[in-house]
Amino acid sequence: MNYQPSDFLPILVQLVAALAFIVATMLATHWLGPKRHSVLKDDAFECGIESVGDARTPISVKYFLVAILFVLFDVEIIFMYPWAVNFMGWVKSTSDVAITMFLEMLVFMGLLLLGFIYVIKKGVLTWEK
Amino acid sequence: MNAIIALSLFGISNLFLGFLNNRKILLPATLVFILIALGLNFADWNHEYYWFNNMLKTNNLSVNFVTIILLSTFLVVAISRSFGDDDEHSHPAEYYAILLFSAVGAIMMVTFENLIMLFVGLEILSVSMYVLTGSDKRSLRSNEAALKYFLMGSFATGILLFGVALVYGATSSFDIHGIAQGVAKAKEQMGGAYGPLLYSGVILIMVGLLFKISAAPFHFWTPDVYDGAPSIFTAFMSTVVKTAGVAATYRILSISFPSVYGLWGNPLVYIVCATLIIGNITAVYQQSFKRMLAYSSISHAGYLLITVLAKRPETNSSLLFYSLAYAIATITAFAVLMVVSEAQAKNGKADESFEALNGLANNNPLLAFSLTISMLSLAGIPLTAGFFGKFFVFSDAFSNPSSLFKWILVIAILMSTVGIYYYFKPIIAAYMKKGEVAKIELSPLYKFILILTTTLTILLGLAPDLVKNIF
Repeated sequence: MNYQPSDFLPILVQLVAALAFIVATMLATHWLGPKRHSVLKDDAFECGIESVGDARTPISVKYFLVAILFVLFDVEIIFMYPWAVNFMGWVKSTSDVAITMFLEMLVFMGLLLLGFIYVIKKGVLTWEK
Repeated sequence: MNAIIALSLFGISNLFLGFLNNRKILLPATLVFILIALGLNFADWNHEYYWFNNMLKTNNLSVNFVTIILLSTFLVVAISRSFGDDDEHSHPAEYYAILLFSAVGAIMMVTFENLIMLFVGLEILSVSMYVLTGSDKRSLRSNEAALKYFLMGSFATGILLFGVALVYGATSSFDIHGIAQGVAKAKEQMGGAYGPLLYSGVILIMVGLLFKISAAPFHFWTPDVYDGAPSIFTAFMSTVVKTAGVAATYRILSISFPSVYGLWGNPLVYIVCATLIIGNITAVYQQSFKRMLAYSSISHAGYLLITVLAKRPETNSSLLFYSLAYAIATITAFAVLMVVSEAQAKNGKADESFEALNGLANNNPLLAFSLTISMLSLAGIPLTAGFFGKFFVFSDAFSNPSSLFKWILVIAILMSTVGIYYYFKPIIAAYMKKGEVAKIELSPLYKFILILTTTLTILLGLAPDLVKNIF
């Protein structure tokens, strides 16, 4: 198997087609669709409640911390899925790769746990402080 | 290579040591941690080991580079003075932990055997540096520097990754020796020519790495970032990051791509000349000592790249010697700059201009003397380590048969002369200008480090063979 860059031309064609479709549909809706403005219609939709003030107010950094920690641990848990899917295969194989992979996952989880302990001891998750 | 594992664990234990609420314990603990890592590093001496499924490889060259990196880290930590005593706004445990983690990244960058490890190491180092650059949270300039460094650095990493992907496309290998074979095979198939994939891949990898060592024209972030970051982290950046970056550049160019020298050598000629000229000429116009040191670090990247370009058998040892001499002198300069700029602070802001040094020698002879020796070393005046660093680099370039190197040498020597002008500015300020600097109280450790680095600079200038024989 020896691919040349020219073999990937269909990808380029598909890219152009996809972009062209987006541009074409956006232009078409802007041209074809009717435009009716009214005060109520241009108002920001907030579940039927009248919006008050500016959205750009200072928000406690705690929300951000919790959100970013959630993302962090969430992403790290995702690494376990491919590991778990392959694990039975390693167990069935004759070599001792299963033990190695199990220990490696232990190390990974251990580091994750240490990070979690650090987060708790730092008091990031104590909301009222 | 157990140093990597040890440093990672030490970094984590540093984080937890922070919960003891005892700032005094952190500095000695970190110093001990680095010394243990240094000892583990020497265990690989005189062996060629592959580690972690051929991901990393240690040999004497890499052990030497790791020693320089850990020594620089040690010196930087030793002059950090536990980051003041502001419990609310400074977090010494985290800073020390991040410094240890970034040392791990730097070690991976000098021992990588696989381009994936180069990427991982570079990212560990860079991300740590983005955080540390912005660690002075209340300073606007520190924040600006961190954001600039982050945006540009992530682009550079992206470019490097793009280059890695293209090189993989051209040679179907991530392994640096495998790439060398792939390049040779591709050349054979194409009758001595090389395809566009390899060409763009090598150039993009080079761009990504040269950005990290701030070679022109990828140097624009350097002055702002070095100036904005807290001085202690600037010292770390300009020594450890530069050493690791140059080592990584040299490693990949000399192992993977020696057979396509024309491909990376030709652009590198212009990059070296541009780096030398821009770095040195711009440094002349600086009013701030710290900013001048930033431009000086750009120019030293140029000198280091000369020997990478010359591709001589002696390049290994010249690179090591130059990095060592440069690291020691730079850390001394930053150590002096830090205490003096804090003592001369105006309105709570550290004064980093040359004027802050006026009359330093009257009350602080040790600081002034260390500053002088480090500046002489950076300028390359004989009887200092910097002179022999430059001497070895220039003789590498001279012994390359290509006549092009004579012209590079002409530029390099002219620019060294320019360097003498701006490196003497702080010396003149310290000894000849009228001014008053109150006597600055130094801790015993701080004094010891200043004396140690100054002695080392002079010692290596008198007897370079002491370490040159090891390298």
